[in-house]
Amino acid sequence: MINGTVVDLSRAQFAATALYHFLFVPLTLGMSFLLAAMETVYVTTGKPIYKQMAMFWGRLFMINFALGVATGLTMEFQFGTNWSFYSSFVGDIFGAPLAIEGLMAFFMESTFVGLMIFGWGRLRKGQHLAVTWLVALGSNLSALWILVANGFMQDPKGAKFDPVTMRMHLTSFQQLIFSPDAQSKFVHTSIAGYVTGAMFIAGISAFYMLRNRHMDIAKRSFRIAVLFGVLATIGVVTLGDALGFVDAQAQPTKLAAMEGLWKSTPAPMAFNLIAFPEQAKQKDVGAVRVPMLLSLLVTHSLSGTVPGINTLEQQAAQKIRNGIPAVEALKALSRDPQDAAAMAQFRAHRADLGYGFLVQRYAPRLSQVTPAQIERAAKDTVPPVAAVFWSFRIMVALGLMMMAFFVLATLYSLRNRIQNKKWILKVAVWMIPVPFLANEAGWLVAELGRQPWTVYGVLPTWMSASTHSVGYMVFSLIGFVTLYSIFIAIEMYLMIRAIRIGPGEYDDDGAAPLLPRPMLAPRAQPAVPYGGNLEG
Amino acid sequence: MRSFLYFVLFLVIAILVTVLTAILGDQGAWYFAWLVGTTMIVLVSAAGGAMLDANEENAAQNPPPVEHRHSGAGGAE
Repeated sequence: MINGTVVDLSRAQFAATALYHFLFVPLTLGMSFLLAAMETVYVTTGKPIYKQMAMFWGRLFMINFALGVATGLTMEFQFGTNWSFYSSFVGDIFGAPLAIEGLMAFFMESTFVGLMIFGWGRLRKGQHLAVTWLVALGSNLSALWILVANGFMQDPKGAKFDPVTMRMHLTSFQQLIFSPDAQSKFVHTSIAGYVTGAMFIAGISAFYMLRNRHMDIAKRSFRIAVLFGVLATIGVVTLGDALGFVDAQAQPTKLAAMEGLWKSTPAPMAFNLIAFPEQAKQKDVGAVRVPMLLSLLVTHSLSGTVPGINTLEQQAAQKIRNGIPAVEALKALSRDPQDAAAMAQFRAHRADLGYGFLVQRYAPRLSQVTPAQIERAAKDTVPPVAAVFWSFRIMVALGLMMMAFFVLATLYSLRNRIQNKKWILKVAVWMIPVPFLANEAGWLVAELGRQPWTVYGVLPTWMSASTHSVGYMVFSLIGFVTLYSIFIAIEMYLMIRAIRIGPGEYDDDGAAPLLPRPMLAPRAQPAVPYGGNLEG
Repeated sequence: MRSFLYFVLFLVIAILVTVLTAILGDQGAWYFAWLVGTTMIVLVSAAGGAMLDANEENAAQNPPPVEHRHSGAGGAE
């Protein structure tokens, strides 16, 4: 059995790298479409200021993109190094979207990013605009494939466990990419990125307006960003509701943890606005409740109910009992794949195979499993409630705060009074970190809420890790945290430097300034006629 | 000839969009919502920028009338 500390350290390492990476990704997703919006105005109106805007924000986008790619690379390798059993168990399904994401990110996205940054003055207006749109599409489509893979982990659709090969096989690629979880997760995450990009540009534009610098660019950037942001926040809240609705069907334990719902109650159910969940005692302390709201939120009906943790634990215990014969049959099949009785037993109980794996942690000999061990494994099916509960509330509160900000900022911007409203400009600057915090909180809800599974209901986390030593895991964890902290420091330094310098000056006709030449590039020589030497 | 080629290009795009919409409408309503929503968000925000230009140009061409203060003496006259 894999050492529990190694599993925890593997989780901590993946969580740390993902949380760092997820600081960069949403900004790329959102800024790319904001650049497309600015450049679309430039191409349609021909006004050079929009080119200047696209170039300036493009420079900040590029800094973020480069560091985002660097932090993302190691995550894909971690599946092989730290999660080898997981990779072997679901590699047939997980590998395809991950490979497509790699191709999207490194071929489509990176190629067009190069053309976008270095193509000014070299491509025609329309061509450059098409490249910018392709960068935006490429970034978001590469996120799509990652979220399709993640959607499979949350709600495994389009796959079946094969007792002969002892791993999961893809049965329907269509079901995999069109799974409700993958769809709602993608749209929610992508549009959260739009909010992040909008807040970033609005905040920096507000900073310039407060200092009375680059006013023309700042006013236009602010206007575009807040309009983009107000629509995106409405979208992100609506799509978050859709994701919650999907989770209510696919991951009831996650939903119960998000709501601190220890006991099933009749409709209409009350919503815990604030509470301090105690996992050991299975109760909420200091709860402030809003009557009827939970039924409305999660079922869109006053008569709808969702099960509480007590009911879900009972259901899990039943599934564990049903899963034990499946695991025993699997062991028999691993010794003799032709064993017809074992195959029949496996087929009768295969739906709860994952729950059988769950109790194996406490009862390596399943034939001697005790009711206490089953109860303990059933309790494990509940994610860490307090962490999920509060991460969810932080995400929602920050989301609503951003919506209020964008509505007000849009109102003042549309009345052309934003430059006189110093207080809201100051708020905009302080709001820059808010979407990043909301994104991280949302990621914690999604991933902590899935525990104790790597693939919900199929593969427990404790079985998924590689068999490394504790020393190796501690060493690599410290290494990653140090390296990624340096990346964050570099990003902050480069961003602040670029913001201080501000947008460059351009000709009235929008022509770009001369770009610095690469050191090794051949310098243009005055043309010398062939006959020159002969003449001498 | 150029117009004809553009016509063919846009016709192909229109057919692709129609097919994509039919497929996504059945299988991936949220993906379809993302495509439509993203396009709308980009175009509305771009229009907001263009509207700011139009407002400023309009204000420059039609400056607001200068207000004349009526002094007490003027009133006496």
